[in-house]
Amino acid sequence: MARSGFEVQKAAIKALFLREIKTRFGKFRLGYLWAALEPMAHMLILLAIFGFIMHRTMPDISFPVFLINGIVPFFVFSNITNRSIGAIEANQGLFNYRPVKPIDTIIARAILEAMIYAVVYVLLMVIVGLAGEEFEVTKMVTLVLVWVLLVILSCGIGLIFIVVGKTFPETEKFLPILIKPLYFISCIMFSLHNIPKDYWPYLLWNPIVHVVELCREAVVPGYISEGVSLNYLAFCALVALFVGLALYRNREEAMLTS
Amino acid sequence: MIRIENLTKSYRTPAGRHYVFKDLNVELPSEKSVALIGRNGAGKSTLLRVIGGIDRPDSGKISTDKTISWPVGLAGGFQGSLTGRENVKFVARLYATQSELRDKVAFVEEFAELGKYFDMPIKTYSSGMKSRLGFGLSMAFKFDYYLVDEVTAVGDARFKQKCADLFKARHKEASFLMVSHSLGSLKEFCDVALFIGRDNKVQYFDSVDEAIEVYKVDEGI
Repeated sequence: MARSGFEVQKAAIKALFLREIKTRFGKFRLGYLWAALEPMAHMLILLAIFGFIMHRTMPDISFPVFLINGIVPFFVFSNITNRSIGAIEANQGLFNYRPVKPIDTIIARAILEAMIYAVVYVLLMVIVGLAGEEFEVTKMVTLVLVWVLLVILSCGIGLIFIVVGKTFPETEKFLPILIKPLYFISCIMFSLHNIPKDYWPYLLWNPIVHVVELCREAVVPGYISEGVSLNYLAFCALVALFVGLALYRNREEAMLTS
Repeated sequence: MIRIENLTKSYRTPAGRHYVFKDLNVELPSEKSVALIGRNGAGKSTLLRVIGGIDRPDSGKISTDKTISWPVGLAGGFQGSLTGRENVKFVARLYATQSELRDKVAFVEEFAELGKYFDMPIKTYSSGMKSRLGFGLSMAFKFDYYLVDEVTAVGDARFKQKCADLFKARHKEASFLMVSHSLGSLKEFCDVALFIGRDNKVQYFDSVDEAIEVYKVDEGI
């Protein structure tokens, strides 16, 4: 039974991942298909409301493409971080098994969410593509890189939340409230161009804005968003990951102490 | 061998810090099963969990080169909406290699005798069925030490007999760390004892009988 720490962690993450996916989707007919169908239904309803009922349009970019590239990345972020907040209590029973550490629950969940939404993203883009919306994936590498950084950013923030939420249980009440407003200031329903340049500094601190606008740039050749930078996103993601890991390293023992 | 050095463990309560152990030093010899004896709330289960690495001490160290199980028969780690088989698979993925997975699941399926319930969600199980699954799951894996916390009453008479037989067989190659209020089963399975007295002093005894005597005197029975 002598395995290296890395092997143990790999086994734990894999086991948690499979358990999570079964818990969430195993009981339905069509099973795992729901993993993709559920968020897709969500997206399609939003598209219907904003696109076809409100007849919103954008210059330089088809509106459904615009919306998909805003909402999908945001959901990845909010799903990973939101579920980290109460993760210790929610998984308390699992920590009776020594190979399972709190960080494994975050990693497993991040991988699951990223995979689900990557599939959803591709499917939705194909659907709107077939429906005649115009886009062209010109910067594949940037797109993949942005997604990777998004997941790293979310994991970092998730780690910070798991530590803060456990150390100060009161914060579990308002941490979710902090995430909600990001929906309105992360350029999901509007483009950075819609905002006067003077106010950009108030928005551009937010790495999600960079994620969203960079994704749009990557799939629509005519869409150019000045002011966003991959470097800034990478910087934020790595800082969040570093701070998260440092806090976690420091508090892991304490979090498992009852 | 399990060595406990300067172990301090406390809980925060509204009435201030409650110390369960202060600067505990004990060495448990190799290949001996240990009975933990003491009144309710003395800290037997806490000590068991700390030794098993499930709970952490405030300070101090537990050092051992042996493998230690999770509490035998534990049902707290089960996910109610998953089937028995899926829950067993989850634990097997944690503790066994890919190639052993099938054997482990087969062992639990055969041992627990849940029939078609093995493929139904755990939340439909009765508590007896849950214990069967939990017990079978613990016994599917080989550990040097098994943590046993009050697990004597599992299922019906026939199943109880089956458990006892397996327990005895496993006892030949592994050791137990055992908490039980049935002094008989402590005598049967354990070689040495830790007695936790009223003043939270922990004493080590080479024989279980001796510890039980001291326990009876301490409790005045």
